[in-house]
Amino acid sequence: MKTILWSVRLGLALAVGTVQATAAAASSEETHDHPVQLGLEQGRIAYVITARNWAVYHRTPDAKGECPRGFNDGPREQFSQLFPNDGTKRTLLETQLMREGRQWFPSPEPEPFKFKELAGKVSYGLNLDGQVKDNDFVSPQGEAGIDNQLYRAIGCIAAYREHDGTSKSSRNETLRRYNYNRFIIEISDVDSLIDDDRVTVKSYRGLDPLMTDASGEAFLPGGTQEIDERWGGFARATWTGRIVQGVLHTEPADLTLPAAGSFGTTDNYSLKAYRFRLALTPEHAEGVMAGYVDVEEFIHHVNMTATSLQSYGQLSSPSLYRALRRFADGYPDPTSGEMTAISSALEVEFVRVYLVEPSTPAKQSSRVSRAH
Amino acid sequence: MRRLAHINTLMTCAALVCGVMAHAGPNSDYRPPVKEFEEYKPEPLPPGFSVQLTDVDGPVFADPRGLTLYTWPLETLRNGEAGEHPDQPTCDNTRYTENTGYMTPYPKGLVLPDLPIRATCADVWRPVTADAGAKPVGKFSVVTRKDGTKQWAYERYALYTSSLDTKAGQVNGGTRRERRYDAPVLRRPIGPASNVPPAFDVKPHATGRLIVTGDSHSVYTWDGDEPNKSNCRAQCSDEWTAVIAGELVVAKGDWGIIERSPGVKQWTFRGKPLYTRVLDRRLRSLEGSDVQGWHNVYTQKNPEPPAGFTVQSARIGQVLADSAGRTLYVYNCGEDTVDQLACDHPTTTQAYRLAVCGNFDAERCNKTWPYVPAPENAVSGNLIWGTAWIDPKSGKLAEAKAAGAVHVWTFRDRPVYTFAQDTKPGDAYGDAWGEFWGNRNGFKAFWLRDDFTSAGRAGGNAD
Repeated sequence: MKTILWSVRLGLALAVGTVQATAAAASSEETHDHPVQLGLEQGRIAYVITARNWAVYHRTPDAKGECPRGFNDGPREQFSQLFPNDGTKRTLLETQLMREGRQWFPSPEPEPFKFKELAGKVSYGLNLDGQVKDNDFVSPQGEAGIDNQLYRAIGCIAAYREHDGTSKSSRNETLRRYNYNRFIIEISDVDSLIDDDRVTVKSYRGLDPLMTDASGEAFLPGGTQEIDERWGGFARATWTGRIVQGVLHTEPADLTLPAAGSFGTTDNYSLKAYRFRLALTPEHAEGVMAGYVDVEEFIHHVNMTATSLQSYGQLSSPSLYRALRRFADGYPDPTSGEMTAISSALEVEFVRVYLVEPSTPAKQSSRVSRAH
Repeated sequence: MRRLAHINTLMTCAALVCGVMAHAGPNSDYRPPVKEFEEYKPEPLPPGFSVQLTDVDGPVFADPRGLTLYTWPLETLRNGEAGEHPDQPTCDNTRYTENTGYMTPYPKGLVLPDLPIRATCADVWRPVTADAGAKPVGKFSVVTRKDGTKQWAYERYALYTSSLDTKAGQVNGGTRRERRYDAPVLRRPIGPASNVPPAFDVKPHATGRLIVTGDSHSVYTWDGDEPNKSNCRAQCSDEWTAVIAGELVVAKGDWGIIERSPGVKQWTFRGKPLYTRVLDRRLRSLEGSDVQGWHNVYTQKNPEPPAGFTVQSARIGQVLADSAGRTLYVYNCGEDTVDQLACDHPTTTQAYRLAVCGNFDAERCNKTWPYVPAPENAVSGNLIWGTAWIDPKSGKLAEAKAAGAVHVWTFRDRPVYTFAQDTKPGDAYGDAWGEFWGNRNGFKAFWLRDDFTSAGRAGGNAD
C-alpha cells in the first residue's frame, strides 16, 4: 500500500498566519482566497513541474524590438531557397536526404542563410559566472550580468516565441501528457518558507498524472506523486540553498531533466551547473532554473522533434546548431578550447505534491528470460 | 521432421484448431520454439490455404506454399493516403520514380534513389492469384485486378505474399504490432481471430501476445492460486480484482470458469484464475508483474533472443541489449511513394540509411551505428532472429565469408545495431534518431517494456 511520507497538518510546522504571509511575500496573487491551507511537516515540501519553457523575453508583442529583421526561416523556407520551384528535376538524394543528413550530423560550416540573432539587451535568467560582460543581458528588473546566450540564439525563432510558438506549446502539452516528464523537487530542512539560511533541495522523477481542475487545463496543488525508483534514477540531484523573502536560491548542481517530446519520444536534457530561483508558496513554486546546456545534446533534442514539426515553427536545426556553436560560453573543450555548452534559463512552474513510496518492489534482471 | 512437427501441432491445437485443420489441411512446416501457442477460431479456407504458427505474430493465414498472407488497408499519412480500398487491388508493376510529398515538409516530385534497382510493388508484394473459377470461401473472396486476373482477398482486401518470406512461418514483410506515428502504411499479416471470449482481447507486444480485457486492461495470474482455484481473498482482493465471468458464459479451449464464491464466477486461462490490478496506471500495463508472484498473461510468448543478449533497465522501462549491455536498435524505412515500399532491408536502396546514419559516409555510419556481430556458427533456433553476411561499405548482403563482409545478427531479416554514443548499459540515446522519430527513416531502440509513452495509445514503444 502507498504510504504518505508526510501529511498535511494544519498549523503544525507553520502557523496558518505564517503560511499566508509566506504566500503573500512570494506572490501577491496566491492563496489569499484559497480554501486549502497547506503547511510543512518535518520541514519538507515537494513540488512537481507543470510548465517548462526556455526563457524568451517578450518585450514587444510583435517582437519588432528584439527581432528587428524578423524571424528566422525554417526547413521549408530554406528548402525553397536552396531548391526553387523552377522546373529543375532534382533527386531526393541531393535535396531531402542531404538536408536530413546535415541535421543529424550538424556542422559549423556556413550555409547560405543569414541567421537572425536576437537584438535586445533584456533577458530572463541569472548571472551564472558572477561577472558583468559586454555580451551579457540585463534582467527586466535591471540586474546586470545575466547569462542567457541561448536566448540570443533562439529569441528570433518563431517556435520558441510566446503564444504561437509551436515548440513552446508542444513541449508543454507533452510535459503534461507524459508521466515521463514528472520532475519533482523536494525542499527539506525548511524552517520557514519566507527566510531560511540553509535548505536542501533534491530532485526525482515521479510516476503519476498531474492533478487538474475540471477543465483539465489548470493544475491543482495537493496531488500525490510516487517517486520513480526503478527507471527514473537519472533525475536525482541535490542542491544546497537558502530562502530569502520567499524566494529559493540554490547553489549550482548538474541535473538530468526528463524531457519527453512529441509522438512518444523520450529524451533528457543534461543540464550543467543548474540552479533555482523560485518564488515559493505552500501551493506553488515559480521562477527560473538556469545554468548551462550542452550544445550537442540540445541540438539532438531539437532533432528528435522531427523536421516536420520544426517546419511548423520555422526552426532550422542546422542553422540553430551553428548559432549555438557561435554563442556557446561555457565548458571549454580541454583540447580545442572551444566552448561546448551555452548559458540558458528555463521558466518553470510547479505545484505542491505529496510524495509516496514506491508501490511495488522493483524486480531488476539482466536475464532475457526475466523480461516482462 | 515434418511429420513430427505436424504431430506436435495437432497435440497443441486441441479441438478447435483441429477443426480448422479439417477445413484447410495442415501446413506445419514451422513450430516456434515456445511452450504454448495461441488458440484461434476456425474459419473455412480456400483450397490449399492453411494456418501457420509464427514466432511473434500468432497464427497467420498462409498460401498453399505456407507463405504468410498480407493485406494493405488504406491509412492516412500527413499529406495523403496510401494503401488499398476494399475490392480494389492497386499493387502492380508500375515503376514509380518520384516521391509523392506525403511527408512534410518536403515537396513531391523528387527523383527516388537507386532507380535501376528499385522494385515494383508487385515485385515485392506478390498477388495471391485465384483460378478463374475460384469461389468465395467464408471471409475469403475473389477480386479482379486491373489486368483482369483474379486475386484472393480477405475481408475484401486483396491478398499478397512478401518477397522476403521464403519459408512457412516467416513474417518478414510486416507485423501485427501497432503502426507507429508517421511510419509507412504497413502491409499486415492476416490470421484467424484469437480464440478469446468477448470480454478479452489479444494485443501484440514486444514480449509476446498479451491478453487484456476488452477495454485493454492487463490481466494477471498469481502463483498463490491453485489450478482452477483462487486463493486471492481479503487484502489480496483489495489490490487484485477477479475478472468476473457472466452468468451465461461457457468454458472453451484454454478458457475456463470457476465459481469463486457461491454464484460468482471467475475467468481462468489455462487453469489459472485471472485478475486485473487496481493500481495499474496505464492500459496494457506490465507493472503488475513487478509484484512478487504475479504475472502478465500471454497467449504466446515471443522466442528468446539469441544467447548472450541481455535486458537492461532504461529510462522508460526495459530494452534489449547485446552481451555487453549495449542497447539494440532496429532501423525502419519506408519510401514516400504511392506503393510505400520498405527501404529498411539490405536488398533495398541504402541511400536513406546512409543519410541519417553517417551523412552519406559509410565509415562514419558504421562507427556511429555498428552492426551487432554474430559468431559464424550462430543459430537462433527460430525464424524471427537470424544472421546475415553484410558488406559494411554498401550495407548490402554479401556472400558468406566474402572479403570485408561481416556476419551480423538480424531481426525480421534486417540487421540490428548498437549506437556509439550509448556509453553504459541502459543508455538509449539513439532512440528516435532519423526522420519522423525513427519511424520512417531512422532507428528505434528495441524496447521490451515502456511504462511511460504508450498509455494505451497506439504506437507506444513496446506495443
